[in-house]
Amino acid sequence: MRRNTLVLGATLLILAIFAWAGWANWEYRRQEAERLLSGAGQGELVPAPGGGTPQYVSPLNGKPAPAFELEDLTGNKVSLESYRGKAVLINFWATWCGPCRIETPWIVELRNKYAAQGFEVLGVDTEGDDLEKSDKAGWAKATAAAGKFVAKEKIPYPVLLDGDSISRDYGGLDDLPTSFFVDRKGVVVAAQVGLTSESDIESKIQKALNQ
Amino acid sequence: MRFLKGVFVAKIAALAVTALAAHGQSLNSTAQSRSLLKTDAVTYLFPEQVSVPAGKPSQVALHFRIAQGLHINSHTPSDDFLIPTTLSIPDGSGVRLASATYPAGTVIVLPIDPTTKLSVYTGEFIIQARIVATAGNHLVQGKLHYQACDNNQCMPPKTITVAIDVIGK
Repeated sequence: MRRNTLVLGATLLILAIFAWAGWANWEYRRQEAERLLSGAGQGELVPAPGGGTPQYVSPLNGKPAPAFELEDLTGNKVSLESYRGKAVLINFWATWCGPCRIETPWIVELRNKYAAQGFEVLGVDTEGDDLEKSDKAGWAKATAAAGKFVAKEKIPYPVLLDGDSISRDYGGLDDLPTSFFVDRKGVVVAAQVGLTSESDIESKIQKALNQ
Repeated sequence: MRFLKGVFVAKIAALAVTALAAHGQSLNSTAQSRSLLKTDAVTYLFPEQVSVPAGKPSQVALHFRIAQGLHINSHTPSDDFLIPTTLSIPDGSGVRLASATYPAGTVIVLPIDPTTKLSVYTGEFIIQARIVATAGNHLVQGKLHYQACDNNQCMPPKTITVAIDVIGK
């Protein structure tokens, strides 16, 4: 009798483990699906009216730009929040990205043109995309590469490091350059993946300034 | 009867262990499918298996394919800020990469910036690897490091595994 009770107890315990494993698996998959389908998901390219440059439609459009605080090249912490009241272009780039190098002089020119109207650019370097936090030599090399590029292009705006740490919030950043145009209230009004044109960037800056 | 009960409990226990293992495995497969959301720009084609004389340098032609519409930097890119395509074989695999001969890159110009010339690979390309294997069967996990772009945008640098069964005779 006692043995039967033990066998029954063991069987019930094992069945409970089955139930727990199934529930945990289901719950994990549900959370992953929700995360992937959340507002930080992938955007899409849609044809522009009149056959112009295809426009990148980000799920972040119309939503507050995700907050962040990153270090700049000199180690100072810079937050997006501190630019509230200004229109901001958040430009994700890397030195190994040829198209990023092509558009940077355009962005520098436009930043200088519109700065007096309350416009600023935050360049976010994703150089260390494949680096571990503990890889000090790797980070030093990445920082040096970014610094060299900033000096060469005479970039007047803050360039922030470790962009990969905020990439998920901004939709994954599978491709560079990627830019988000944020209005004075901190809302994303436009986004762009890939190289377009100086005039296209300018029109989005104007949109961010005038919202 | 008692024996049958024991067998029954043992089977249930084995199933429970399998369920727990499957749970762990499902987490791994979910993580893998997530990383595959990013495009694989380069695919290793062949060979999957080679036989070489043990202890002697042997030439092996490794074939790769780049996804349509993309290019990767050649081994000797046109600018030092660009990431070159490189092949490596980790230490301790029983196979050493003595040298690698890369194809010359094709020079292209981006439509939006005709002043910049790039040295790239497109389509299929072959790396001639000179390897030295010790005697025996070695499952080599070579690495190809590259960085891919199309005409308007770039993907982060990536390393893919080049899996070859090397038999040193």
